[in-house]
Amino acid sequence: MTFPDKGSFDPSRYKTAVLQRRQLSPGTVQLDMVRPQGFEFTAGQKIRLYRGDVSRDYSLASAPAAPLLSICLRIVAKGVLSPMLGAAKKNDSFSFTGPHGYFVFHPSNRHAVFVATGTGIAPFASMCRSGVSGVTLLHGVRDLKQRYYAELFYQSAKQYVACLGSRKSPGQGTYPGRVTDFLAEKLPPGDYDFYLCGRREMIRDATLIIDDRFSGARIFTEIFY
Amino acid sequence: MKIYTGSGDRGKTSLFSGERVSKGDLRIEAYGDVDELNAMLGALAATTPPEAPELGGEIRRIQSDLFHLGAWLATTPDSPSAGMLKKLSEDAARLLEVDIDRMENGLPALTGFILPAGHRAAAWAHVARTICRRAERRVVVLTERENHAEPLSAVLVYLNRLSDYLFVLSRHINRIAGVEDILWNP
Repeated sequence: MTFPDKGSFDPSRYKTAVLQRRQLSPGTVQLDMVRPQGFEFTAGQKIRLYRGDVSRDYSLASAPAAPLLSICLRIVAKGVLSPMLGAAKKNDSFSFTGPHGYFVFHPSNRHAVFVATGTGIAPFASMCRSGVSGVTLLHGVRDLKQRYYAELFYQSAKQYVACLGSRKSPGQGTYPGRVTDFLAEKLPPGDYDFYLCGRREMIRDATLIIDDRFSGARIFTEIFY
Repeated sequence: MKIYTGSGDRGKTSLFSGERVSKGDLRIEAYGDVDELNAMLGALAATTPPEAPELGGEIRRIQSDLFHLGAWLATTPDSPSAGMLKKLSEDAARLLEVDIDRMENGLPALTGFILPAGHRAAAWAHVARTICRRAERRVVVLTERENHAEPLSAVLVYLNRLSDYLFVLSRHINRIAGVEDILWNP
């Protein structure tokens, strides 16, 4: 699980173009883009997309070996970049730098627990597509339509739970509460490596619960701002 | 963008390698000292005399080196995360030696102890030197505690050389600014 020194310390700038846009749920799309020659990354890393002087980081959902690059983005109505990206058409071009970040999978003899909210699921899709399996995956969603990449996770995760923020009556593979409720109430004691990706409130709450319940656990985080 | 998460409000923090540790842990003290040293170098760079424009780039290079040192100190040796870090090469310490030799060539020989004083930037360099020595002592204790000579040995070499660099730098700045060394008169 190494990447070239150059990767994060001196990221290169690349050009890419949209291949297709896929609606994942209302307000959330996956953009598939051309993978520029020479661009390498490790599953879990992100790219920084540019429009003029404005930039935003997006985790890659595609596998490092895939012929294209996929990002998963929630369109924020007053966002600077996401409305434009969400409306992108085939062949629209962008520049990006990368790879960025250190949120990559570390094989160990501990059980890995992936915890995501919303589009924070993207790096875990990349990890599972690159061969990571046998993990517990908790995905915080507002409704069942937001279970992005569910088929992938049903195949590769040992346990895949969609945590519905509301206390709606759950179907199979769902939990009637937040991911943090699951961590506090359902996850059995054990030695874990936790991977947290999502909004900072979730990261904070999950970290404090892990400190209380799972002494000695390792925590790796990726915050979505 | 908010930089706070609140996950450290109870006095714990995460190492780069994922472990949750007390903010009073020796490892945190060690990279905290390196962080303090880096900040002091920023203050020093802001006050270097205009007659020595090369010092700005030199100090920025050292500040970048210190980020790498901090990353190593924030990582448990032999953890998978250590494989992601930039290797600390001996070249960085060697570059400091080149800088030291260059500056020393223009300095009069020392005949005794000198007081840490003089031009403002020279005084900051002395403060930075003492922080650097503290960081070095902390890393020594960390190395002894964890019985891990590698890769912290490269960190120790670098900090030792950097302390020497900062001492010579203070004299170099004083010379450029026309301030004479003040010998200790016991």
